[in-house]
Amino acid sequence: MKIPKSLDNYQYGFAMPSKPVFKSKKGLSEKRVLEISSLKGEPDWMKDFRLRSLQIFQKKKMPRWGGDLAKINFNEIVYFSRATEGSSPTWQDLPPEIRKTYEKIGIPQAEKDFLSGVSAQYDSEVVYESIQKELTKQGVIFCDTDTAVKKYPDIVRQYFGTLIPASDNKFAALNSAAWSGGSFVYVPKGVKVVLPLQAYFRINSQNFGQFERTLIIAEPNSEIHYIEGCTAPIYSAKSLHAAVVEIFVKKGARVRYTTVQNWSKNVYNLVTKRARVDQDGIMEWIDCNLGSAITMKYPSCYLMGKRARGEVLSIALAGQNQHQDAGAKMLHFAPKTSSRIISKSISKQGGRTSYRGLVQVFPGAKNASSFVSCDALILDEKSRSDTYPVLRIKEKDVQIQHEATVERLGEEKLFYLNSRGINKEDAASLLVNGFIEPVAKEIPLEYAVELNRLINLEMKGTVG
Amino acid sequence: MIKFIDVIKSRRREYRIDEKATFVFFLYNYSGRLRIKIQAAGARVYIFSIFIGRGKDLFRLQVLQQHLSPQTFSEALVKGVFYDEAKLIYEGLIKIEKSAQGSHAYQKNQNLLMSKRGFVESRPSLEILANDVFCTHGSTTGRLNSDQLFYLRSRGLTKPQAQNLLIKGFLKEVFEKIENLGHFPELEKYQDRLN
Repeated sequence: MKIPKSLDNYQYGFAMPSKPVFKSKKGLSEKRVLEISSLKGEPDWMKDFRLRSLQIFQKKKMPRWGGDLAKINFNEIVYFSRATEGSSPTWQDLPPEIRKTYEKIGIPQAEKDFLSGVSAQYDSEVVYESIQKELTKQGVIFCDTDTAVKKYPDIVRQYFGTLIPASDNKFAALNSAAWSGGSFVYVPKGVKVVLPLQAYFRINSQNFGQFERTLIIAEPNSEIHYIEGCTAPIYSAKSLHAAVVEIFVKKGARVRYTTVQNWSKNVYNLVTKRARVDQDGIMEWIDCNLGSAITMKYPSCYLMGKRARGEVLSIALAGQNQHQDAGAKMLHFAPKTSSRIISKSISKQGGRTSYRGLVQVFPGAKNASSFVSCDALILDEKSRSDTYPVLRIKEKDVQIQHEATVERLGEEKLFYLNSRGINKEDAASLLVNGFIEPVAKEIPLEYAVELNRLINLEMKGTVG
Repeated sequence: MIKFIDVIKSRRREYRIDEKATFVFFLYNYSGRLRIKIQAAGARVYIFSIFIGRGKDLFRLQVLQQHLSPQTFSEALVKGVFYDEAKLIYEGLIKIEKSAQGSHAYQKNQNLLMSKRGFVESRPSLEILANDVFCTHGSTTGRLNSDQLFYLRSRGLTKPQAQNLLIKGFLKEVFEKIENLGHFPELEKYQDRLN
């Protein structure tokens, strides 16, 4: 695999030669699904689940809204490949190539500093896991989902696919049939995990789709912060990423799920994320979408119990040939449930950002309240920004608010910074970083720093 | 120059704004489509809509504010009060084309739900293809402010009296905004319905 010279020094994307131990043939069929399942040595219930999902996938139509997905060819995708045999217990056991990729992103230092557990994904399977003793002592389970199916079948079976059934949408069905890897987190009752759990994901094989499956269960009064950071190498062929994330927030529990997504600019990122929140539970999605060709992602909260709370804070940045179609869904089923959505989007150099959201209040959800705020910046005349909110209210004792603004960088602010000796480019970066600050401050420091650098890099050459 | 258009009377669903003037569109319990294409640079368009829904009323309003020329302005204000099983489905779209630099557009939808069986669906959308613009939209749905109700009742008003007063004030904002633009005798018969 040769990398074009011009991309050699691209700071935030890497390409390593891919040497999979096993790679399935292109395309998806019943035979291929059975092959994946038997290679993984899965129990029958999972095999049947995959086969049922495949049928649903084949019947389901492509969504007729959102990004243009016409160029996805499902028959040209490799649905499963294995980078090393099984999971490696330590860094030293990893193949040098994989280690090199990770060192470029800086995992080892990060880990030394303050990671509590790393589960890094290379190709479709988790190859490295390090779980600190403390986590195990607390009874917290943190492993890849494949391992969880084997080691904790009772827990997995009880929850897997119940929140996002295969029939939810075409890409959830695809994931259900072909899933591989992803994280499984189980936090026992009353346990508060202080340090965030992190998993790094990378797509590293041309034309190779990644279908990871994440399941998080937070038992009553527990707390957990999960971080997924994605950086992908640059490739010429289209790649597909269709993940499914299911989260169960039990009574009084609190879960925060942070995503920093920087797929290379040819990836289709079509992800289904959903959380069920019971009484007094809190679910927070923090979602930064920077890379990919097309992203369609709408993290949602099903607020099922009294006083359950849901939040989505998101940032979207779309440059040339990018369409970020992202948003959030809040469904209020119970009294006194509350939700908040803050969305910040930036489009530049012909990029397009779309906010698509839903707030729905069902009968009986008395005293529910919801606040939605979407701000968009358009940096040049080639770019575009859309806002498509839906507010559906079937209960009278509610307070539902939505607001949105679209504007450009303030001339006066730019002029002021300019007059203080800051050049135009830096001034624009400063203003954009200020614009996303309300969301960026919620992200852990190392990601916020990377985000800040990335924005500065992206802003180079955008102001004439 | 200001022109006043009672959309129910004129019955037209599509309007092309070809002159640099101010246009005021008024809609009362109007169900249907309204498409306004602003083609004259510097033109200003106001859209005011009131709904008072009772019984099994079902309103479906679609409003398009399409800006095709530079320095154009539009503002939509849609206010509704829904009793019994009355329902509203509102779809608003502000579309600013590339050719409409320097435009401003606003869209606001506010609803009061007076009954448990009422239903409101609000979809205030934006599609912005130019960068030198300022656009906002807002949507709120809920009940009457309980502090305000409490205050009025502490002053001796009965609950229905207090509610009526607050609802009147809520809807009156529309008429006051129109008054600020000019006096239109056509509006009086609608104003009477508030009493």
